[in-house]
Amino acid sequence: MNRIRNFFRTREMRKLLRDRLTIFAMIAIGAYLFTGIAIMCGAITAETCDQVVGPNKLNGFYREELPERRYDIATTKFLQAVQTALGQEDPQAALEQVQLGRVRVADKSPEELQTIVDQIIGLRDELNQSENLDEDPAMMPKLAEMEAKVEQLKKPLTGMNGFLHNASLWLGTDAQGRSIFFRGLYSIKIALQIGLVTATFSVLLGAFLGAAAGYLGGWVDSVIVWIYTTFSSIPNLVLLVVIAYAFTDFDLQKRVPAFMSSWVEGIDIKNSLLPVYIAFGATFWIGTCRVIRGETMKLKEMEYIHAARTAGFSSFHILLRHIIPNTAHLMLINFSLLLIGAIKSEVILSFLGLGVKGQPSWGIMIRDAGNNGDVVTGFFWEIGTATVLMFGLVLAFNILSDALQDAFDPKHV
Amino acid sequence: MWAFTIRKLIYNIPVYLATVMIMMMLLRVQDPVAGKLSKNPTQEEYDATKKELGLDKPFLQQYGLVLYEVATWRFHRNMWTEPGVTVGDKLRTAVPRSLALTIPALMLTTVISIVIAMISAFNRGRWLDRTLVFFAVLGMSISFLVYIIFGQYFGAFLLPRWLGTDVFAIYGYESPLKDWRNWPYFMLLPVLISVIVSMGYDTRFYRAVMVDETQREYITTARAKGASQTKIMFVHMLRNAMIPIVTRVMITLPFMVTGSILLEKFFGIPGMGYVLLNAIDNSDFPVIEGFTAIFAGLFILSIIATDILYAVFDPRVRLQ
Repeated sequence: MNRIRNFFRTREMRKLLRDRLTIFAMIAIGAYLFTGIAIMCGAITAETCDQVVGPNKLNGFYREELPERRYDIATTKFLQAVQTALGQEDPQAALEQVQLGRVRVADKSPEELQTIVDQIIGLRDELNQSENLDEDPAMMPKLAEMEAKVEQLKKPLTGMNGFLHNASLWLGTDAQGRSIFFRGLYSIKIALQIGLVTATFSVLLGAFLGAAAGYLGGWVDSVIVWIYTTFSSIPNLVLLVVIAYAFTDFDLQKRVPAFMSSWVEGIDIKNSLLPVYIAFGATFWIGTCRVIRGETMKLKEMEYIHAARTAGFSSFHILLRHIIPNTAHLMLINFSLLLIGAIKSEVILSFLGLGVKGQPSWGIMIRDAGNNGDVVTGFFWEIGTATVLMFGLVLAFNILSDALQDAFDPKHV
Repeated sequence: MWAFTIRKLIYNIPVYLATVMIMMMLLRVQDPVAGKLSKNPTQEEYDATKKELGLDKPFLQQYGLVLYEVATWRFHRNMWTEPGVTVGDKLRTAVPRSLALTIPALMLTTVISIVIAMISAFNRGRWLDRTLVFFAVLGMSISFLVYIIFGQYFGAFLLPRWLGTDVFAIYGYESPLKDWRNWPYFMLLPVLISVIVSMGYDTRFYRAVMVDETQREYITTARAKGASQTKIMFVHMLRNAMIPIVTRVMITLPFMVTGSILLEKFFGIPGMGYVLLNAIDNSDFPVIEGFTAIFAGLFILSIIATDILYAVFDPRVRLQ
């Protein structure tokens, strides 16, 4: 406990906490982390994100739609589902199956519902006579009446259910009627997960190899430098894409010896995040390794290391207890930088269809928005949500990395 | 200097061999033959395709073939996706297109970033500096994808509507050799987007370099003897800041041939990035292998050249 308190009292930490912008960035990161943890605990699942919750391409913030769109929204999806259910042999059972997100059919007998549907169809036929509803104010009361009738078919949502239903429509829906808000939030978890896992792995690996290369020198140094020069001779994005590609149709069952196949049953590598971790892990450690190697070569000549060596400690002990802890500030800075890199690269890989699969991600949201021509038609909700959420996270980490750099490594160029 | 160059070259041979080998092994994690055949191929069909693609030979022989192609500088293997076109021909057409995009972008970015960095460094700590740095951080925090999508939307979709004429192409490519006006029409917008994207990173880097430089004693001396601000900035400081600038530019040079996968995909420029992405999508091994072999060579050469340029710019640096 005391150690932690002392850590916060160090000159570097005080310098770090003095800047108001940094505090804001930390609060923002905390909020993102909290959301990520909540989602990891099951607040939003990948299935929820795939659920159709409303009409396609609904505007966010419940913004008023144009009359033509209101007509489309009222007459599709839910109304059609109710109509189909009423046509079944057992309408009562079929009606219970009807659902649109959290919305269910109202507790009315099939006959009552049938009358409402008939009224709606009557109104719809009248509305159909208008050439263009957008320029036909006379039809507005009829449109409003039809919308009210459609609402009567729905069971009113109350309490938590109602809140969640409203929340799912907050930022509108995508081209398939899925909630943009929930998909955007879920992507926070994906981004943080990938960022934290790959940054932790890369920093630890890079620090260990870099310290070993710098301290031991000789052939260890040559081998490690050789490995990282080799990896950096392949263009980074090409290497990422090729590694991700190598796993696109990877079937673990067929790759392992026959007697092992029962052990790996049910492990689905190609839809997991493992290929992304491997692709990032293979490339991201290089920068950290280089920095830590340089720092270690400097530290190696310090008196306290000489003292430790004279006292008879093993190289391994000196590395682990004296060198690596003294490069901790560089590890922290690199961790923050790699996290940003991982999040940005994940979005690009997912956009190219090689990253996250079967789960929402900002990259996938941006790709969907592009494929559906959202931008050209002026529907910015999906791409905007992905952009803003990602921008916030990356900006916060950028500000934090800068502050870390200023506080712990002010001489860095 | 020659001894240094030759020693470095020899030292980097294993790096080069390993780079090509790693790439070839990574590609072979997945069986490309199955993807090229219909759903349920017979064993004969499978073997025939495998033989046709040259994958029936042992790995080392395939590896040797790639190295032989590099050594003779003749990439005469046929592409798998476009039969009859050799890898060499494809690279020869694709790489110049990428260069037409990336080299102007690099030059513009470097010049603009250095100027902004100098302004920022000379006003260090004042509001102008803080604003510039803040915008650089803001710019760095936006995804490349977003820049491209909105850049394309404003430049190639909204702008022509406002102006009434077509300024930039939204998609496609025609050679500027036929008509020089093709270059600004097809390339200027991607170049501008690319400049804006990399400006944040570059400005911050060059600013750090310049700030480091402004604290040196020779600046104080120059001030004391009455040199003007502009003279200090452009004559004294810029020359001394040249080493980090040259290093950074040299390191990015080999990446020019890769082109930009994303920009070329969005704007439909059939350059190297586009060819590579297509090759990876359709597992066209000869293209990927040939390109990696060339790129790795360029990368290693540029690292060696950087070391040599160090000595040229700073006589204190000794090559050893």
